[in-house]
This record gives sequence, C-alpha cells and structure tokens, in this order.
Amino acid sequence: MSVWRNISELGAGLWTTLRQLGRTSTVSYPEEPLNLPPRWRGRPVLTRDPDGDERCVACQLCSAVCPTRCIELQAGERPDTRRYPLTFRINFSRCIYCGLCEEACPTLAIQLLDEFAFSKEHHADFIYEKEALLIDGTGKHPHYNFYRHSGVALQDKDKGEGINEKTPVNVRSNLP
Amino acid sequence: MKHVFFLDGQEIPFIPGQNVLEAAIAAGKDQQIPYFCFHPALGSLGACRQCAVKMYSHDSKHPPRITMACLLPASDGLQLVTLEDDVHTEHREIIELLMTNHPLDCPVCDEGGQCHLQDMTVQTGHSVRHYSGPKRTYRNQDLGPLVYQEMNRCITCYRCVRFYQDAAQGEDFGVFGSRNRVSFGRLEDGPLESPFSGNLVEVCPTGVFTDKVFRHDYVRVWDLQQGPSVCPHCAVGCNTTPGARLGTLRRIRNRIRPEINGHFLCDRGRYAFPYATANSRPLQPRLQGEPSRQDAVLRQLASRLEEGRSGFLGSPREDLHSNLGLFALADCLHAPFAAVTSSWAEALAQQCLALPQAPSLQEVAAADRIVVIGDLDSIAPMAGFAVRQALRQGARLTVLASSRTELAQKGDYRPLRPSALRDQVARLADDPCLQGGRFPVLLATAETLGPSGLYALRKTLEKLPANARAGAFVNRPNLFGAAYFAADGHTERLQQALRQRKINHLLCLGADPLGEDWGAGTWRTLAPGLDGLTLLDMVDSETARSAEALIPVAAFPERAGLFVNYEGRIQAFSPVYRREAQVLHSAVHGSGFPEAAGGLKHPLGPPPPLFWLGRLAEMLHLHEAWQKRLDFYLHFLCPEQPDPEGPGVLLPDTIRARFEIAALPATRAVTPEQWELDIFRWYGGETLADTADELHSLAPARGLRVHPDVQAVAATLHGPCGDLQLPVIACAEMVQGVIAIDQEGFAELGLYPGDPVEVSWEQSR
Ligand code: SF4
Ligand code: SF4
Ligand code: SF4
Ligand code: SF4
Ligand code: FES
Repeated sequence: MSVWRNISELGAGLWTTLRQLGRTSTVSYPEEPLNLPPRWRGRPVLTRDPDGDERCVACQLCSAVCPTRCIELQAGERPDTRRYPLTFRINFSRCIYCGLCEEACPTLAIQLLDEFAFSKEHHADFIYEKEALLIDGTGKHPHYNFYRHSGVALQDKDKGEGINEKTPVNVRSNLP
Repeated sequence: MKHVFFLDGQEIPFIPGQNVLEAAIAAGKDQQIPYFCFHPALGSLGACRQCAVKMYSHDSKHPPRITMACLLPASDGLQLVTLEDDVHTEHREIIELLMTNHPLDCPVCDEGGQCHLQDMTVQTGHSVRHYSGPKRTYRNQDLGPLVYQEMNRCITCYRCVRFYQDAAQGEDFGVFGSRNRVSFGRLEDGPLESPFSGNLVEVCPTGVFTDKVFRHDYVRVWDLQQGPSVCPHCAVGCNTTPGARLGTLRRIRNRIRPEINGHFLCDRGRYAFPYATANSRPLQPRLQGEPSRQDAVLRQLASRLEEGRSGFLGSPREDLHSNLGLFALADCLHAPFAAVTSSWAEALAQQCLALPQAPSLQEVAAADRIVVIGDLDSIAPMAGFAVRQALRQGARLTVLASSRTELAQKGDYRPLRPSALRDQVARLADDPCLQGGRFPVLLATAETLGPSGLYALRKTLEKLPANARAGAFVNRPNLFGAAYFAADGHTERLQQALRQRKINHLLCLGADPLGEDWGAGTWRTLAPGLDGLTLLDMVDSETARSAEALIPVAAFPERAGLFVNYEGRIQAFSPVYRREAQVLHSAVHGSGFPEAAGGLKHPLGPPPPLFWLGRLAEMLHLHEAWQKRLDFYLHFLCPEQPDPEGPGVLLPDTIRARFEIAALPATRAVTPEQWELDIFRWYGGETLADTADELHSLAPARGLRVHPDVQAVAATLHGPCGDLQLPVIACAEMVQGVIAIDQEGFAELGLYPGDPVEVSWEQSR
C-alpha cells in the first residue's frame, strides 16, 4: 500500500513541476524592466508641490535622521523669506534605502521612488546634487503643499490666507 | 544648614529665597516641571500656568493642592509631587491651550531643535491637537536687521517685555492689544533701539523672535559645531558660544557666566561675528598687495628680520598668547617692541592697570551708589546693562558726561566738558552722590577720562570707604593683557627708533597704526621712513592695504588664546571650528562633500599668529630660545592656565602694583573759550564689528556732533597731524563747546579726547 502511496505522491510532485512548463516567472532583469510595487523603496528624490515649486524647506530633519549621514544640505532664503535648499546632496554610495528620511520629512519632499540599481565608475559620481535629485512631479503624494498649511506669509500667500486661518488680528484694538 | 525640599521623593537643595522651580532648575531636576514664563534672570510671573506641582501639607488637615512651582517659595521639608495623574493632566491641558493657535511652522521655524515649546510639548506628551477650528494669525513687524519676528508663534509668556522693558530698560518695545490678541513688538516698524535687543532671540521660548543674521545662513542647531569662547569686542569679556558649520561661523549665543554676563550679551557681542565670514577678510597671504604663497611671504619677512632693523608692534585687539609670542620674538632679536600705538594709549593702559581690583559685573549689579563717567553703553554695553540691574534694585546713579546718553537719562546727569571730568572725579570723594551707600562703584570709559583722569579716579578711590570699587572700560578685549609687558615709554622708544632710522621695518600684530588706532596721525608722518611693514591681522584695515606683506590669521573662535578683561580676569577660549572654504556646489563631483559624509577635505583657513611666529623663529634659528621666553612670560603672567569652561583666573595684585608709579603724560590746559574734543562711539562700533554688514547698517552717520546752537553745515578741524572736514550733526544732548568725533577722526588729527581743537565752521556748502 505504501508503495502505491509513494508512487502517487511522486506523481503529484512531478505533475506540479510539469504544470509549470511553458510558464515563465523569472524576469530576465536587467534586460527586462521590473514591475515594482508602489511602496517599493528605491533611491530618494526631491519632489515638487502641486504648484510646481520645490517642496523641500531645508529643515534638515532628513539629514539628521539618516543613519549613514549621507544627506548634506544648506538652507537658502528667497526674498519673500521662503526657505529652500541652496544645496542638497546625497551620497548614494552610502545610502541604504532605509526610508527614514522619507518618514522624517514633514513636507513630503523627499520620497523613495523606484530607481534602486545604478552603477558608476567612480565613487565620487554617486554624489548627487540637487539638480539630479529634484524631479518634476509630486511623487506619491499629489496634493500636499506644506506652505498652505504653515503660518508663514509668502509672496503669493498673505497672513490669514493659509488653510484654516483667520484673518490677521487688529492689535491696535482694545475692544473686548 | 542645608535646606532641602522633596520633589517626587527626591531631595532638592535650595537657598532660602528661591522658589521651587528655580531650585529645581538649579539642581538639574526640572524634567518633571514644564515651564514657560519663568526665566532665571527675569524671575517668576505666573502667567503661563504651566509649572503645576501638587503640594502636600505637613498635617493631614488640608487636602493636597495644585499650585504653581514658580510662585511657591521653597521651604524646608516641603513635599511636592508631579507624577500623579491630575498634575500630568494639568500640564498636558495647559500646553494644549497654549498650542491651540500655534501654526504648523516647525519645519520652517528657526527655533526648531532648540525650542523650549517643542521640548515642553514633547515632555508633557501633548501630541494630538483636538481643536480643529481656524487659527488666529498676526501680521509681522520689521524689527530691523538683527531680530526677526513671526508673531503667530507667541504663547504670551511675557518674557520678551520683561526683558526689554524691565531688565534692559529699553523704551521702544512693548505689548499691544487685548484679551487673546496681544502682540509683542514696537509701536511702528523699525529697528529695535536697545543695544541688548538680540537677547530677545534667546529669551523668547518660542520662534517669535529669531536671529535674523543667522537666518540668512541658517543651519539647524544639531549640525552646529559649538564650543566655549570669549567675546573679542570689548574689555568686559563676556562668555560666548559660537556656532559654526562647514568651516564658516554662523552665529554667537550667550554662555552663562554669572560673574560677568549672566544670561545675556550685547548686540555687538552677538552680531559682530561676521567679521570672520566677511568677503573683505584676508585669507591668503599678500605680498605687495598681490596674493602670494605662505613660504614666499615668510621668507621675505625672515630676510627683513635678519637685517636687524625691525620694530615690533603688538595690539590690545589680539590675545595674550599672540602678543607674548611677538614680544618674545622681539626679545630674541633685541628689537624694540610696543604693545600699543601711542604714548597716550600706553599711559591710559598703565593707569587702568594701576586701579585696584575692579568689581565684576555681578558686583556692579549689586551696587547701590554708582557713578558712570562717559558713555559706558557705547564702549562696554554689558557694563551698562549691569548698571541697569543695579538701578532696578534702587541704586542711585550719577552720570558725568559731555552728552545726555541713554544711561544719563536714567540717573542724575551732570553735563561736563571732558577737560572738567578730571577735577570733578578728583572731588567725588566728598560728593553727595556717593554718600550714604553701602557699596559705591565708579565706572569710567577710559578714553574719555584719559590717563590723568584715571589717576584722579585712583586717588579718589583711596579716600572712599575700603569697599568702594572702580573699573575702567575700553572697546578692546585685551588692553589689560597687552599692557602688562609694556614698560614705560616703549611706544615712544619705538617711534624714536623709527625717527632716527635705526629701524626701517615694522612687524605689526592686529594693529592699525596707519588707520584708526590711537596716534595713527604720528605713524602716518613716520611712514615714509619705513621700507616695509608686515601685518598679521584678520581684518582688511588701512594698514593691511598699504602693508608690504600681509599675513592672515585665524579669527578668535578658530583658535585658542587668552584675553585679560577689565578686572584682570584671564579667560581662555578654545578653537570651535576650522575655517574652510565653503564649497556650495561640487562642480567637480566629490570635491565639495563634507568629511563627515565621506567627502574630501577643503582647503583650510589661516593659522593663528602663534603658528606664524613659531615658523618665523624656526627660519631665524631661534625657535628654542623663543619658545623658552614665551613659556617663561606666560608662566609669569598666568601661572595657572584658566579653563575655558571656568570663570577664569584673576591676575595677582602684585602685578598691578608695578604700574602704580607709571609716569603721567602732561595734559593740555583748555580755556573755556576753546572748542574741546570728545569721542563719539555707538554700541555696535569696534574695528572687527565694523565689517559686520547687518550690525553696521545701524551705525549712525559719520560727522561732527555739536550742540545745535552752532549754525553750520560742516566744519574743518585742525590738528597737529592734519585737517579733518566733516559734516555737522546737531545734537541737542551735547554740552556746549564740545565737539564729538569718532576714533578715525582723532587718528587723522593726531589729537586725544579732552584736547582743545581749532575749528573753522562752514555756513554753506
Ligand atoms: S526633511 Fe524634507 S523638507 Fe526637510 S530638508 Fe529633508 S527633504 Fe527637505
Ligand atoms: S516655536 Fe517651536 S513649536 Fe513653534 S513652530 Fe517654532 S519650533 Fe515649532
Ligand atoms: S513673543 Fe516670545 S517671549 Fe514674548 S510673550 Fe510671546 S512667546 Fe513669550
Ligand atoms: S559687552 Fe563687550 S564683551 Fe560683552 S558682549 Fe558686548 S562687546 Fe562683547
Ligand atoms: S513658569 Fe510658573 S506660571 Fe509660568
């Protein structure tokens, strides 16, 4: 009896194998592109807000949280006091795609998109400057615009014009 | 007897008179008590209701109750608790109330990372805002180039007004509006007028007031390199914490030193630092005005020194170490050396040193009879701040000056011509203004009073009660250190050697003998006899521009050194950062990446003077002798190396005694009909500070200040070294017959404060 069982189980296993004949699940990467899930963590990029302006406000939270200390930036200030990164570099020969910067970023500027494998001849070429990091899009978050929520005034947004803000108080009034 | 109370079962020691919060903070046990409106230097107000603690009574008759720690006087055996639910709920709910209208600003708020409000919010566990309605907003004010306002972030703790109006006694800042619409600022937009306005940045626990200069080159505090330093902008020697990143200096914050500056700094100390980042700062050696290489300049200088016809000139602007290094080199070469640029300044320094031990600013703040001579605020602002603290305690202030300064408006003002100051000071011992006090203090601006006035001050002090103290101030950080090894007549001997062509080369350290230093007029007339002048300095001065060789040196936060302040307190500062050329874009990949992130090193900034002097001694084969002398002098002046984190060490009185016999230069007699010169300065003015753009933009216009009864638009002053033409600025606060000009003016004329001067007035242009 056990002989028959053994044979039938062998047959079942063989059938499972034979069933796969003709199907391919191996992607011949890199010749063929990968279909990555949307939450894939590739290399970080800097995104833009829905108005097309750069999102990053140079708060340095990403560089503070980065465990490999591979992000380095210097804040700049526009004439209307809007903060932006004057320089922003990431050393991709050190980045480990951990996603902590994305998690720390309060403006959703830095996002880990799908590029994950890239090679260079020199280590130094892995240092990406802002031009190489900033993309022309909103990335995974199409609607968020930090400056509409914050209380600071900008060229195109006066006090009280932000989301959920009252008009500025009249400090000259002593009326109750 | 040791006094203690108990906070959550832990013993907290206190001094009678302290409140519970103060004692808990002093003991480093404030993690359990969040607070906002209390400030160690401003006291309690009880406005924020944040510092709740639960107090258990000694008996069981009264139930325990919640009370404010900052308003509760500490008493022995008090049992306080914060770890119970109702206290914690109170903490969390109060902070939620304060945060109701708080904007979502942290990412763009310069306070972030050093924000008391952030810390307290995290500490109390308030993480979700229940209020979702619209938030109150304010329009900001433009408060000038130093302080940035973002009014939305206010939590109405009133620290700012309490500092500005009560502590700094400024008049152009206050609170406006009513109920939950109060706002803190000026009546109208415009620069804050107080010389202490920058402290708002540190006093405000939120990001309402932030540093506007830092803002333009901002970096989060966690990325700053910081360390202990000493302010190099006047003789007070306030303790500072410079912050730098990527090889450039970004800001200066206060470092608490109870004996001197306490919790505060003046605006010069806080905002003059851009001298270290200014575009005009020399960073490369220059030979004949052209950029050159280190060794070329050193070789040139060594060959000059080998000729044996060099003189050496130190400076009260440089630290003790470097001056001693120069002195030691001069000594090795048997060359003439002077520490200051004129005999008058030499006599001034010696008379300052001859004064008995000066009071610390902490002691000044405790004085009850104060006489101020000259415009103290414009020379040593924090000394003026200490006087204000004494005034708050009810001290009686008398100001002797040739113009009604801001301080004079707060006390009895005696308008006096500079030449009358000396006699007035000599008579002060019997003056009613000093009678009846416990602790009289006399504070003089040394240059206004002059050497003979300082001598009179010393004699007056001998007649006053033994606890009376006097201090003299200059706007140089190390006059007292530089002068210690300057014997009588050094400067005259150096100038004489030049006149007699015994020397034809001058090696200067941090001095500006051809620009604005005292006696520059004389140096200019002697300059044709110089074949070459070498300067070691960190600012692009007049002398730097005409020097044969210019050797750049490290700025003070970039090196270690010693300053001797007006009390004779030797304070050490240590290097905080290394100056590096900031690479804003790595055009060549990799060259701009910081070391921390695996990049390459940037070219380093200039080394300190001692390094250059050592190299020079090596090239002259004198290194061993030089080092031995340097160590000897250093050990003589400062047997015990002060710790940069400590309060410094006071020079022994025996060293002071050497100067009591110093010769006094003759003073010129002035008749009442003659015009008399006084020095005009403003609180932000000083050689290094003048290269700081933001601060300097507040500088008053250059001109000749006289009482408005003079009808003229301009005037030419005639002095022994040249003429000076300046526009007339009518100034109602001035005494008649006195003309106030800046130090450059004195340098051009070859005159000194209190000298008579010939004037030709011009009625129209
Ligand atoms: S955390 Fe975001 S906003 Fe802040 S510096 Fe990084 S990318 Fe910019
Ligand atoms: S004041 Fe503090 S809590 Fe408020 S936005 Fe600024 S950093 Fe954040
Ligand atoms: S501005 Fe700052 S210091 Fe002044 S009340 Fe508001 S939070 Fe307090
Ligand atoms: S008082 Fe003098 S030492 Fe103190 S901060 Fe001001 S300039 Fe610096
Ligand atoms: S700190 Fe006690 S009430 Fe504000």
